[in-house]
Parts: sequence; structure tokens; C-alpha cells
Amino acid sequence: MKIAPINKIIIEKGADEYEQTSAILKRLDEPLVERISPDRYREKGEFMDMDKNTLRLIPFKGEFIKPCPGTKGYICCGYLILHVGMNCPLDCSYCILQAYFNQPSLRVFVNLEDELNHIGHIIDSHPERIFRIGTGELIDSLALDHITGWSNTLSSFFKGRGNAVLELKTKTDLIGGLLSSPYRERVIVSWSLNSPYIVSREEHGAPSVEKRIRAAKECQEEGYVIGFHFDPLLRHTNGKEGYLRPLEMMDKYIDPKRIIWISLGCLRYIPVLKSIIRRRHPRTDILDGEFIPGLDGKMRYFKPLRIEVYSFLREQIEKWASDTGLYLCMESNEVWMEGLGWSPENTGGLSSFLDKRVQKFVEN
Amino acid sequence: MGIKMISNGIPILVNLEEFDEAPGPNCMSFGFGIKTLINSIEAVGLINTPFVTRNREGRLDIVAGYRRIMALKAMKYDRINCIDLSDSGLSALEKLLFNLYDNISIRRFNEVEKGMILKRMMLYISKENIEMHYMQLLGIKNRREIDILMKIDEFNETIKKSIADGAISTNTIGLLYDFDNRSSSFILKCISDLRLNFNQQLKYIDYLIDISIKEGKSITDIMDEDWFLELLKDEDLNTPQKARKMLNLLRVRRFPFLTNNEKEFDKRIKGLRFPVGVSIKHSPFFEGQDFRLEIVFKDGKELKEKIDTLAQAEGLNGIRDPWREDS
Repeated sequence: MKIAPINKIIIEKGADEYEQTSAILKRLDEPLVERISPDRYREKGEFMDMDKNTLRLIPFKGEFIKPCPGTKGYICCGYLILHVGMNCPLDCSYCILQAYFNQPSLRVFVNLEDELNHIGHIIDSHPERIFRIGTGELIDSLALDHITGWSNTLSSFFKGRGNAVLELKTKTDLIGGLLSSPYRERVIVSWSLNSPYIVSREEHGAPSVEKRIRAAKECQEEGYVIGFHFDPLLRHTNGKEGYLRPLEMMDKYIDPKRIIWISLGCLRYIPVLKSIIRRRHPRTDILDGEFIPGLDGKMRYFKPLRIEVYSFLREQIEKWASDTGLYLCMESNEVWMEGLGWSPENTGGLSSFLDKRVQKFVEN
Repeated sequence: MGIKMISNGIPILVNLEEFDEAPGPNCMSFGFGIKTLINSIEAVGLINTPFVTRNREGRLDIVAGYRRIMALKAMKYDRINCIDLSDSGLSALEKLLFNLYDNISIRRFNEVEKGMILKRMMLYISKENIEMHYMQLLGIKNRREIDILMKIDEFNETIKKSIADGAISTNTIGLLYDFDNRSSSFILKCISDLRLNFNQQLKYIDYLIDISIKEGKSITDIMDEDWFLELLKDEDLNTPQKARKMLNLLRVRRFPFLTNNEKEFDKRIKGLRFPVGVSIKHSPFFEGQDFRLEIVFKDGKELKEKIDTLAQAEGLNGIRDPWREDS
């Protein structure tokens, strides 16, 4: 896949002090550089393009690691988010990041390496706990890897930390950094998948499902533990057939015995995102479904529609393999029971289920 | 001319016929009442002298004091004292700002006025400059609101009046931002005619947009449909009833599966023939797991009677989510 070129770098005051800033500048082909003081700088990015050709290097002052905020009334996987940056060169029509249009451009936190000591201290102080940590919450984990080298930095940090794993979630096939990294044992690479119809219409800039699954195959062959996330699931015409396509490709390329987990999650969105999607992606039909406000105020499909999607996929996945660590993202106990036939009952239960998967699949 | 010189300017007598009724390039008043001002002038006379300037056509433009001049005109004055800024050397932008600060120190602008101010400012300074220096002053929350407020200036006087009166919200205008003028006018007219509250306005537009996209029909085509025209003409319904009925019809069309389930649930509950004052409700949109039983009673005796009747009611096992198969 081709990522849109970076035409401009904005370097925030203080970012020059970090090695990653110069490393990133060396990797790019002489882009326009502007040095700014963030308190005096006014965003110039256009709403429609989110200024995705500009890379902003930031000495991030906030918390680098945070628990996934979860959501009221639904069961969360209990993983920790490592904030390495924000915004994404892909431009999926359903993406929550569009709601942060007051913070345009791709943002990289260049002081990550310095913060890793602190994160290491947290992990090492709790040997009894398993830390499932991921970078794919506010940015695709691999889409900027060729510029940031995150996969290499982080995989070497996680190496030897027996109570932690790093999950790199991506929609890309940009696995060059991973394949050249010697540290693989604590890294899970997972792909977000969708029906080809949704990929072609809604996941602008992302490679095809087949390319993603082939990248997954390569990583699996190279010894990486892999996972998949069918999220967001979207109901559409011939949707059932559509969602069979990635499963067929997985059957063709992937060894199911070495999949740590597969998650399912129907589209949910904060209400304010709707009008943004309508403006930025006027041709989309993802909002046509019967969305209702959930217990957490986010919009989601009317319950029986979600249950139908989950039951269908569960049946299909289980036809292929019986032990794929299938779980639901942000769903209620009731939907778990009806969609998957069992329930972890609460966030603690799901965390424990996923921790056991880590113990089973990731080497110590 | 500096500020001191302006305030020390010597008033000249001006014929009121020299002013147009429109606010002109400097003033930013819309949707105001002049009765209080007339009472004030009648009681104590004109306290503050208006500021004016002569335009290229030789007529007078008001720089500050538009409402006062309108009040004096209504009071049938012929001539009043004004301070003429024609030779002050003030630029067009400075005159506009003169009026802006004159107003902002004593009152809040309505949304139409904010739109007028922005449109006028945009003639002289960049949008970026406005964002930097005037957004906060005008109480504008974000860049998008600037665009929305400027859009207001394009609507007809009736719609503007509804906006200035607070009958149509800025959020509503925001939703209409990308619509063509015909569709916007249709929608706003319906909002005014049916006197939809803010919440209803947003729902109405949201349903319309969704239906329009889903069915591949234009907004105006949907609003030209017979059911809608008949509803507007229905003499058996008052305005709030028409508003509720319209929203309900649009909701059913937008959410057929959900509303079918709601209907089926209500039908089943009704079929149970509970005693008067007993009701069962599902969670909002059936998203929660539980149902809610409500019993209205006068005293313990009545409560016991109702519980006894309820316990013997046939078909309680049938209370479940309507989409589930019979167990």
C-alpha cells in the first residue's frame, strides 16, 4: 500500500531535544519544516482533509499509558492504551478521530522512548498482573512505522518482560519494520478486517482485505502471534456474504491454531460524529442502519440487529476453527450470551479470558 | 481623529430623511423592539448623540445609534443632532468596529446580528484574523459556527426573525448548512409553521436527511408527498399534535424494525388486560435487559388487589423482547 506523502513537518517547541525528531527528519525526503510554539500557534488544517499530509512532532506532556476507558453498561477487554501519537493517514469514514478536527495533522509523540522507563517501572512493579498494551487506539499502529520506527522501539522494550504484551493493531500491510525486528516474542500483530464492500467504500487509503491477510500470513510465518478484529461490523446489502470473504481468505492463508484472538464489534459512534461523517463522506451508507442510543450514549445498532450479526459470524468462525479466542468488544452481558453463547459477565471476566489467551500463546 | 476628538465632536443638525431604513454598512441590529427606547426618549430626551458619516452617494450612513434613529423616526422627528465622522479619517473597518464596541458594551448580539457582523467584517479582514481576534468577543465557540452564522444572512426576513427570536436554533442552521436554499427554506418554513421546539427541530432534520439518503429522494420530494401535505391541512389536529404526528411518521419510516418491535410490545402488553393503573415498560430502545412494572394505587388494600389480579393474569410468560421466538 502507498501512504500519502508527508509534505510538511511541524516541530513543536521542545521536540528537537529528542532523538526521535532527528531520526524522523532523516527518514523523510526534505519536507517543509516549521518550528512552532504550540501556545501561540493557530491550527491551519482544513476540516475536510484533517491535514493528513502534515506530521507534527510533539513532546507529549500527558499520560502515555492509560486504561481503555471502556464504556458504561458494556463489557470492556481491559487493555491498556499506549499513546504514541494521534490521527491516522488512512481516512475511514467511520473513524472517531474525525471528531477531533480541532487537532488536525498526524501527531507523533517524540519523547516516547524517554517515557518507556516509567512504563517499564509500572509493568515490573506488578509481576502478578498481565499487561496487554496496544498502540492502535488513536492511530494505526503500523501506518507510520516506516517514519517512526515504533515497532522496533517497542518490540525491544517488551522483550523479556514476561508479564506484558504489545498488540499492534493495523489495517495496513506495512510489516517491513516488524519483519526486520529481531524481537518478536512479546508482540501480537492484529489486523482490523471488514467485508470487501466496506473496505472499498469506507476504508479510504487502506489496502484490500486480501493484502492484510497476506501480511498476517507473513507475520505468522515469521513467528509473530497474530489476531483479528472484525470491528466495526457494518450491516449492508449482502453483508453476510461480504463477511464470509475475509473468513475464506483467512482459511486460505492463516493457521487458526496460532490466532490469539478474534474480536467482533458492531459500529458505535458518539452522536456528534454523525454530522461530521455526513459532511466528510457524503456518499457513505454506513449511517443508514437503525442506530439507537446505547446505555453509554453512543449510537449502536438496535440490539437484535447486533445479535444477529454476532451469531452469524460466531457460527462461521466456529465452522472454521474452534479455539480462536472469540470475544465481543463493548457489548452487554445479554448480547454476549445471545451472540456468542457465553459471557465473561464483566470486564474482569473478559480480561481474565484474554490474559489466559496471552499465557497460552505468547512465549515466556 | 482620535477617540478623544470623536467624543468631543460638535453635533450638527441632520434631516432624518437622509437615512435609509436599512442598517447600512456599519450597524448590526436585527429583530429589536424600539418601544422601550421611545419611552426613554419621551421621558428624558435623546441622551447619546448618534454618529454618522456621509457615503459616496451623498446620503448618510449611521456609524452608531441606528436604533435611536429608528425610534426618533417612529416618533416623527424631522431633524436631530448627530456627530458627523465624514472627515474623521476613520477607515470602513474602524467605523464597523466603532459600532461593534458601542453595542457589545451594553448588550448581547442575537445570532442574526452575529452573522451580519461577520459578513461585514469579512469584507475587510481575513477569516483567520476574525478567528483570532473576534471569535471570543462575539461568543462564537468554533470555526464552524462562523460559517453557520454567516449562512444565516442568506435567509429571508421571516426566517431571520425566527432565528433572532430564538425559535430556530443555531444547531438547526448548522444541520442545514450544506443544503440547497430551496430545501433549507422548505424545512425552516415547516419548523416555523409547526412551531417545533429545538429538540424536535434536530430530530426532524435528522430523520429527513437519513430518509433522503436512504431512499435516494430529495428533501423537497419527501416534503411534497401527500401524507405530509394532508397532515398540514388536517383540521382535527392542533399545531403541537401535527408536529408530534409528523415526527412519529418520519421515525417509523426511518426506523421500521425498531418501531415495529415497539408496536408489537405495546400490543402484547395491552392484550394482557392489566387492571387500571398497572403498566409495563421496556427499557429505552430495548437496550437494557429489564422491564419496568408500575402500579398506581391509593392504599395498601388496593395495591394487594392489584397484585392479586396481576398474579393471576394470563399470558405473563409472554412478556419478553418482541423479536424473540415464543419459548
